[in-house]
Parts: sequence; C-alpha cells; structure tokens
Amino acid sequence: MLDELLAPKYLGWLIEGFGVTLLLSALVSVAATALGLALCLGRIAPSRLWSWPARAWLSVFRNTPLLVQLFFWYFGASALMPEGLLIWLNTPHHWDLALFGVRWPSFEYLAGFFGLTLYTAAFIAEEFRSGVRGVPAGQIAAAQALGFTPLQVWLNVVMPQAFRISLPPLLGQYMNAVKNSSLTMAIGLAELSYASRQVETETFKTFQAFGVATALYILTIIVIELAGQWLQRRRPAPGAAGA
Amino acid sequence: MDFTVVADNFSYFMLGAWPDGPLGGAALTLALSVVSALASGVLGLVFGIALAMTRGAAHNVLLLGLGFFRAIPVIMLIFWTYFLLPILFGIDVPGTGTVVVALSLIGGSYLAHSVHAGILSLPPGQWQAAAALGLRRGQALRLVILPQALPIMVPSFINQWVALVKDTSLAYVIGVGELSFVATQVSNREMVYPTEIFLFVALVYFIFCSTLELCANRVARRFGTGAG
Repeated sequence: MLDELLAPKYLGWLIEGFGVTLLLSALVSVAATALGLALCLGRIAPSRLWSWPARAWLSVFRNTPLLVQLFFWYFGASALMPEGLLIWLNTPHHWDLALFGVRWPSFEYLAGFFGLTLYTAAFIAEEFRSGVRGVPAGQIAAAQALGFTPLQVWLNVVMPQAFRISLPPLLGQYMNAVKNSSLTMAIGLAELSYASRQVETETFKTFQAFGVATALYILTIIVIELAGQWLQRRRPAPGAAGA
Repeated sequence: MDFTVVADNFSYFMLGAWPDGPLGGAALTLALSVVSALASGVLGLVFGIALAMTRGAAHNVLLLGLGFFRAIPVIMLIFWTYFLLPILFGIDVPGTGTVVVALSLIGGSYLAHSVHAGILSLPPGQWQAAAALGLRRGQALRLVILPQALPIMVPSFINQWVALVKDTSLAYVIGVGELSFVATQVSNREMVYPTEIFLFVALVYFIFCSTLELCANRVARRFGTGAG
C-alpha cells in the first residue's frame, strides 16, 4: 500500500509547484486589478482619445488565446527587446527588503507574470465596467445635488458601490487567474501543472501525481469561494440596507 | 518585421501537412472548435435541464460534478482525459479525441449553469399555466419553457464558444497539431522570427473569436438582453 503513495521527494516537488502557482496568481490578481481599473476608466471615458485604445486592448487581449500571448511575450518580445535589457532581465539581481531577501525571478516567471496580468486585466476591466453600470443613475444625480464635485462623486459614490457589485465576478476572475497560471508550464515555469507532469514522468504514478495537483487546485478555488461568501456577508451588496 | 516567414509557411499554418499528411493548423483548430462546440452545447442543455428538473440529493450531486469541471484548469482535465480515456475504453484515443472530450466537458459544465439560469429566468406562471392546460412537466418544458428560454441563452452559448476556440490552443500540451502547435514548430525550426509568427497566429485566432463575438452582440441586441 505504501508504495502506492508518492515519495516525500515528489510530494515536495508538487508543494513547491503549488507555491509558485499561489504566489504567481496572487501577484497577477493584484496587478491585474489595478490595471483593470485603469482600463475600465479608459473604456468609459467620454473622450475617444482614451476609450478607443482601451476598447482595442480589451478586444485584442480577450479574443486571442492566453497560450499564444504567453508565447508572444516569451519568444516574440524577447526578440524585440534591446540586448542590454534582455541581459539585465536574465541576470539575477538581489535586493534586501527588511527581513526578506528578494530573489530575482527567472525570465519565464517575468514573461508569465506579464502575460497573465495583461490578459486578466482585460477581463477584470469588463467586470468593473458592468459594476459601474450597475450603480443607479439616481445615486450620481443625488450626489451632484448635494454639491459633490465630479471627482468626489466618483470616489465617494460610484466607486464604492461599483466595487461591491463587481466583487463576485471579480473573485471569479481571481479563480480564473489561478487556473490560467497553469498555462505558464508551456513556457517552462515550474508551477503546479508542470510539477505534476514531471512527477508523473519520473514515477509513472499518474493517478497520484495528477490527483494531488487536482486536489490542490480545487482546494484553492474553494478557499476563494469561501472568502467571497464571507466578504459578502460582511459587506452586503447595495440594496441590502445598512453597510 | 519580416513576414516572409509567414508567407513561406502559409499553407502549413492553415492546413498543416494536409493533403500529404493529417489535417492541422488553423483548419484543425476550426474542426476541434466546431465539434467541441456542438458537444458542449448538447451537454450544457442536458445538464442544465437536469439542474432545473432535479431537487435535493440528485441536484447536489449534479452541482458537485459540474463544480469539479469548473474548478480545475483545462490543462489538468486534458491530462486526465489523456490518461483515463484509454483505460476506460480500452482503446487508443487519438489526441484530437482527448481534447474534444476535455473541452466539451468543461464547456458543457459552464453552459449547464447558463441553461439553468435561462430556465429559471422565466416567470413561474409559465409552468403553472402549462400545468393548468394539462401538460406534464416534460411536455411543459419542451413546448412552453424551452422555446422561450433558448433565445435568452444564445449569447452565453456564443460567449462560451469564444472561450472554447481559445482553449483549443491547449491541445498543444499533448502534441495535437493545431494552430498553436504548428506555430511553435515553425518557430523552433526557423529560430529567427518568433515575433512575426506569434503575431500572425494571434491575428488568426482574433479573426475567429471576434467574428463569433460580433454574432453574440447581434443576437443579444435582437433579443434585447443587451450584452453589447
């Protein structure tokens, strides 16, 4: 029975891959939320100078496969970069932040982070946009009647409500970021899917290798789901009185 | 930028080795998309109707099953089908078949929820009126509910199919010779123009997906659900 299980060494590979998956998707989620917010503001801006580039971005990044985008950033963009920059990106740098030493990520990691962030931001921008559209027009009129400046209307009235409306779909996008991070295995990043495949080829214990990886993915999705339910109970969506 | 590499390999990008070898490239991407789209549509309808018609334990088991397919990455499901299909059926399943099964299951699980939501979106009076006319539940579903609910669902079907076209690129991981795989092959062979190659490939996918998206927006406007 014991030899049916994975040796600690291989479990270690999977856990390490899981760590890469978690950190990468967390970083991507944060960066893509900021970028997605900026894109959403550009998309709904009255000036075409802003809205058209944003529209083009959303259309291009939503309508091409993430895998091709990752290949483009990994193989294609490095061919376009000036040699000096490429060398700089590929050499390890070291910073010491307070207690932690920050290790310079590999080029695979950088390309994966960059590609995933741009892709995810395009989806998050659309979730924000539907959130903004969900704020009743009366709210804006009422704030204006109270003498709020346009900026105040945005910051104090529209954004907090839009954010609450977009919270559930936003969490859905974070789940997608976790699942999509598996595609970085194609550019050689040793995240969870990559690790499961590696363990499988080494041990031939296909069922165990894929099983552990699958369970870890499901666990992550469940945790995000529960966090979302908890957040929503704490801060009910508009209309649910109070808050 | 030098796109001669694209022009030189154009037929390989579009058709793969065909007619001397198996069909590949963009044509295989389209074929995989169409077959998986149809299969995921059927699965979505079946499971969505099942969600609407079941209560209690059966309903929860169904939800759990669908939740599983929605929670795992497409790549993991492709690995699983690649490994399990030959064991289940005792035959060699080609890579294309593996991908179609995986994509149909994932697409079907997402669509099941859209179908369920579409059925729920009709006022309960529709069911009651059908029952008052003496229709059984199955008849009411077939004659009264679905004809009204299906048009509402069309945009979400098309949006799901856009995601599906993009996901066919993941067939790459098990070496199926569709467009992305062919692109990396050419890129590795030529070694010099990866930027041009991947830009071109992205453009082909973009044409496929934005055409579908345009259809979705049109349909949405026609039925007044306003997704555009």
